[in-house]
Amino acid sequence: MPYYIGDVIASEKKLIARTPEAFEKSGIRVRLNTEAEEVDENKGEVRLRTGERIPYDILVFATGASVTMPPVPGLDLPGVHVLKTLPDALSIKEAIGSGKVKKAAVIGAGFIAMEMAEAFRTAGVEASLIQRAKLPVRRWDPDYATLVKEELVKHGVHCHPETSPKAVEKGVSSPLRVVTDRGEIDTDLLLVATGVRPETRLAETIGLAVGETRALRVNFSQETSREGVYAVGDCAEVFHRVSQSWTSLPLGDIANKQGRVAGSNIGGTPLLFPGVVGAQSFKVFDLQVAATGLDEGEAKQSGFTPVVEKVTGTPTARSMSRGERIHLKLIADRSTGRFLGAQAVGSRGTVSRINFLSAALWSGLKIDEIAYMDLAYSPPFGGAWDPVHIACHALMRQF
Amino acid sequence: MGKRLVIIGGGAGGPSTAAEAKRRDPSLDVTILEKGPYVSYAT
Repeated sequence: MPYYIGDVIASEKKLIARTPEAFEKSGIRVRLNTEAEEVDENKGEVRLRTGERIPYDILVFATGASVTMPPVPGLDLPGVHVLKTLPDALSIKEAIGSGKVKKAAVIGAGFIAMEMAEAFRTAGVEASLIQRAKLPVRRWDPDYATLVKEELVKHGVHCHPETSPKAVEKGVSSPLRVVTDRGEIDTDLLLVATGVRPETRLAETIGLAVGETRALRVNFSQETSREGVYAVGDCAEVFHRVSQSWTSLPLGDIANKQGRVAGSNIGGTPLLFPGVVGAQSFKVFDLQVAATGLDEGEAKQSGFTPVVEKVTGTPTARSMSRGERIHLKLIADRSTGRFLGAQAVGSRGTVSRINFLSAALWSGLKIDEIAYMDLAYSPPFGGAWDPVHIACHALMRQF
Repeated sequence: MGKRLVIIGGGAGGPSTAAEAKRRDPSLDVTILEKGPYVSYAT
């Protein structure tokens, strides 16, 4: 959706994978603007807000995640937005399209905040980022988060780190004024992007178990703690293959896969969801940012003894590089040599490295196995020794 | 009609569940309940 708001994706129609009409054609009933309010398990019925009752034999919770709002007064003022649903995106796009938005501010500094900062700049709007921490994108280590911040600043984004919003008020020169512990920020539009939490309220009313992550507990068939009741997507937990623990990762690609697994089981063909390795990426201006697996802290929590190696390489053979860089950090377990995770920030080619490293993690490879892995080498796409090989060899010298 | 499958939520996971269940067992009676005005979209 940020790319739709930034006009990179021209029409909202392109965001829709399958229309209600297409579902109806394949025999699937779609009821829009229909809110389930209660589940009566004894009768096997979902009661709608309108009072209507929908009988079921098999029930699936795909209730997603809800935006978390910081406890700041004034977030109900016109001009304050969130970005979770397509109507949210349409309303931001409409506001920008009106020509009245010259300045936008974002509270938060996760990947949605990064993508939206870029979208605002692409749409010709001034952008400010307000965040409590010192650096953006907390999944990435401070050295890499610093590179992300430098990219924001380079593209004219006003960063307000270590800043806590206290209130949002009607402004004088602009429609909105964000009052913080470090002064006031006037803006025409405010986006709250401080995160999401699994939407499990309805599921909890019938006593479905939630895990430590506050998402619904499921097994590998996507079945919840209740037989015949399934959960998929952001509201459900997902198994992390590296930490060997259940976690919450609200990402659309995982939701799609879990849905297919649940659907297969419901349709009578048993199928198990294989879990995830925590691969993730985003783009901010000219920078690709990606990570997979565990970071050092998570590795320790999972009982590993992490060893870390950081390298800076080029996306092409060095002779062909135009000053572009790929910064790559690999983490391995000292006692077994097993590869545990990676972070990367850089030019083109950065995400593709994290993708094949994700396949290596998926397969449980050791660092010395990746160190000689055969890659699709040619000078426009990398050196004979790829930055990944170089990092592995440096890591091996640490053992 | 076969069993009645009701899916609460039409973002990504819900539609994906519906499509695969119906593909595997065409006799299923499948309903997606979505509180908003759109289903099956990329975020």
